[in-house]
Amino acid sequence: MVTATSAVESRLVQASSASRTIQASPLAIAQSISTKRHPFASNLAKSRFFAATVLFISVSAAWGCLRLGALSPSDFPFYTWTACAIEDFLSNEQARPQIDFVGSSLVLAPLGGVDADFLNAPVDAPHHHRSLFFENAFAKLTGESVTTFNFALPGEMPSDAYLITKFLMKGEKRPNVIVYGVGPRDFLDNLLPSPSATDPYSLLSRFGDVNDRIALISPDWQQRMNYELGRLLYPYGQKVDLSTSFSRVVTATLAKLLPPTNGGSPMSVRRIILPEYRNFEVAKNECLFTPTTAANRPAFSDNIAEYRKRYKSLKWDTYLTQMRFMTDILNIARERKTHVVIVAMPITQINRSLLSDLAWDVYKKSIKVVALAKGASFIDMEASGKFQLSDFGDTVHLHSGGGAKLLDLLAERLVKDQAVMTALNKPSRTDDHSTTLAGLKGTIQ
Amino acid sequence: MLFNSLQYLVFLPTVFLLFWLLPHRARVPLLLVASYVFYMTWRPIYGLLILGLTVANYFLVNRIEKSQDKKKVWVGVTVAVNLVTLGVFKYLNFGLDTIKDGLALAGVNWHEPHLHILLPLGISFFVFEFIHYAVEVYRGKPVVKSIFDFALFASFFPTQIAGPIKRYQDFIPQLSISAKFKWEYVDEGMQMILMGLGKKVLIADNLAMVVQAGFSHPENFSSLDLWLITYAFAFQIFFDFAGYTDIARGSAMLFGYKVPINFNLPYLAANVSDFWNRWHISLSTWLRDYLFIPIGGSRCGKWLNYRNLFLTMALGGLWHGAAMHYLAWGAYQGALLILHKEYSKGLEKVGVASKLLSSKLYHVVSIGITFHIVCLGWVLFRADDLNIAGKILLKLAQAPAALAHFNSAQLAVLQIRDPIIFPSLVLIVPILMISQVVVNWLNDKKFYQSPPWAVQVAVMVILMCVLTIFSPDSSPKFIYFQF
Repeated sequence: MVTATSAVESRLVQASSASRTIQASPLAIAQSISTKRHPFASNLAKSRFFAATVLFISVSAAWGCLRLGALSPSDFPFYTWTACAIEDFLSNEQARPQIDFVGSSLVLAPLGGVDADFLNAPVDAPHHHRSLFFENAFAKLTGESVTTFNFALPGEMPSDAYLITKFLMKGEKRPNVIVYGVGPRDFLDNLLPSPSATDPYSLLSRFGDVNDRIALISPDWQQRMNYELGRLLYPYGQKVDLSTSFSRVVTATLAKLLPPTNGGSPMSVRRIILPEYRNFEVAKNECLFTPTTAANRPAFSDNIAEYRKRYKSLKWDTYLTQMRFMTDILNIARERKTHVVIVAMPITQINRSLLSDLAWDVYKKSIKVVALAKGASFIDMEASGKFQLSDFGDTVHLHSGGGAKLLDLLAERLVKDQAVMTALNKPSRTDDHSTTLAGLKGTIQ
Repeated sequence: MLFNSLQYLVFLPTVFLLFWLLPHRARVPLLLVASYVFYMTWRPIYGLLILGLTVANYFLVNRIEKSQDKKKVWVGVTVAVNLVTLGVFKYLNFGLDTIKDGLALAGVNWHEPHLHILLPLGISFFVFEFIHYAVEVYRGKPVVKSIFDFALFASFFPTQIAGPIKRYQDFIPQLSISAKFKWEYVDEGMQMILMGLGKKVLIADNLAMVVQAGFSHPENFSSLDLWLITYAFAFQIFFDFAGYTDIARGSAMLFGYKVPINFNLPYLAANVSDFWNRWHISLSTWLRDYLFIPIGGSRCGKWLNYRNLFLTMALGGLWHGAAMHYLAWGAYQGALLILHKEYSKGLEKVGVASKLLSSKLYHVVSIGITFHIVCLGWVLFRADDLNIAGKILLKLAQAPAALAHFNSAQLAVLQIRDPIIFPSLVLIVPILMISQVVVNWLNDKKFYQSPPWAVQVAVMVILMCVLTIFSPDSSPKFIYFQF
């Protein structure tokens, strides 16, 4: 402190005496750096900051080699919808699913709601990852059983589904068929800052290297810099693991030092006093699908204001990025011999009217063309004409009654799809629906 | 642009490199451009505000200097231009709301126009610097010749948003010095920046969670919890603002410039007057020089002196924000200063032994009492409104009864085990209190004047490691940014 302060003071004295030193030009500085005996070089060696920086980089490198404090990818700091889904998916108790459902809440809500009705019991939403109703519908049609896993997550984007497909749905966990339900929001949500802004991304990116898609995942220079710093400096890249490890040690130590709690603080209290803290966290039995009937179903909820914001100014970059990820999903699945069924999910006309005709056409045509080009099946539930406003809980989500209709229809269509049945190693129930459209080989239902 | 952001991590080294590579004559323009870029990353249009005020002040203050017989008029105009600007942006809606509330009390229902005015960052700070300049020139000090130097004085990015409030006589001469690069600037500057980030990220931001919970939901906490939370806020605001000041001073030091200090172990103050000599020093000295003294200061009768003191502190409170609780906090500080004066005079009158007053025990007890008095003031400062502040203060008053029947189960902070800062509070608060004493002891031992090279390097490496691990994904704002 004193050295620099006195340096400044000496400069002030210098100013008062109006003395002027000859200004060092960039060239002169460059020359001085190259001169071995120049004070710049010798002072550099004495510099505390320079020494600290060199030492810090060395410590980081050594730390990275030893991987001290790193946690396993599935050791999550706390439970979110994504964490629950990953844990259940990777669990040894979970049989290898033959059909994996992927998508956003457009898929999640009807599948979960239907099962609550089917079981006539509440279903713990973040922990319920099968579609029992679908399995039953499929068995009724084929006489054959099928196992499912529902990997649909709230707000899941194609970029998240890409990470699920790439990092998790492989090896012993490779499904025969992926049913991917999509809606326009998945591609056209302007409220999404970037693919790396989601909870699924933050947890799924722990399972592999996303470097080959980082330009798409982190298009903003600050996000990119953040990512690159994480790759360069081990403590920065592993800060979630390291801070979690530290937090666990402190918690364990405090547990020994402090008196026992009177049962702990329920998360509901924490939600009130700290609403911003871990806002993706979910506790057991916090989010339930409860059984409903046509008589006691909740009234239609108008969520149009939310979607108005989402579609207010469409970001075509987001659209192109997410479409690219959908293509990647299809490529990876094809490499792994997993058949994909793209399902255009039904939405209400109220919601559809928020989108311009151009945006709507681009969305509908693109998903169909991409699906066919990659040999996937395409089912257009939206254009099926089977869904009315009364099937919806709000402007986009089917309620459990609508969900039952969706899954019955889906089971029917899948059973008739030879590519699907072949992938499932089950006899086909109908003719081959494979088609060629403008040179694209796929299946349209 | 926040000091604790990635943007700044790129911005500062870029400006630093250009500054030392460019010839001296290009350095002020460079810093000026950098300062406007820094300011306009927030909201570009407000760059025009700081530019407009700079040009207006530059020419108006020149008129003050040149005028022979109308100096008073011109200084009045200059101060008015600054205060009106501050008033419009900061106090207009508050004024309209207050009038509405007053009329409502009189039974008049008035729908006041609510203007959507966004408070420009740092306006309270640079307006005070302009007023200081105008008054100093009025008092006979020389004007700044170069408009670029003057513009940089007002917009200098390290101190632009939340001070310290500079004095132009100290700052401007530094700009004319053609300095050569010294590694000491980097060492000192980076050490201050790392220390500042440590104070902000490791201490203030963690305490902020408990403080936020306690002050927004006091009903969920006991009297003793609220005392702990109030202590936590005392340290949160100190480490937040001191951290900001360290980063500001460190950033300025990278260019070889020195800006004033703002804190000197304020919680070791032995009385309220001493506290204001140690807390936000650049503001308290500004209030003394440009408000308290001009309205009469202490060179008048006892009651006028007290009036001036009270008015200065009340307005100082209002400077922090356009809200009644800030005004109440300022008034509380003013009242405390008056009481302290009366107390000191009372001690003199009754002839209390000077030996007792200078004893260590008296000093320690005074520090403890002052700290608690200051903490009570922080409740007024931090609470969202006076109603909540009142509720918290009432609950704090129940502490003696709670202590008489103390049971650890009374402490809700011990029941909340996640985030761990809640139960840790019972350890952290005493540690932070003790740390002030330790720092003071090290100061006395002149440790900071020549700390061992290896110790300084080790501290920097540890800070670098810890900051990389615990840096938040988003950058929480500094508390004083809102003022």
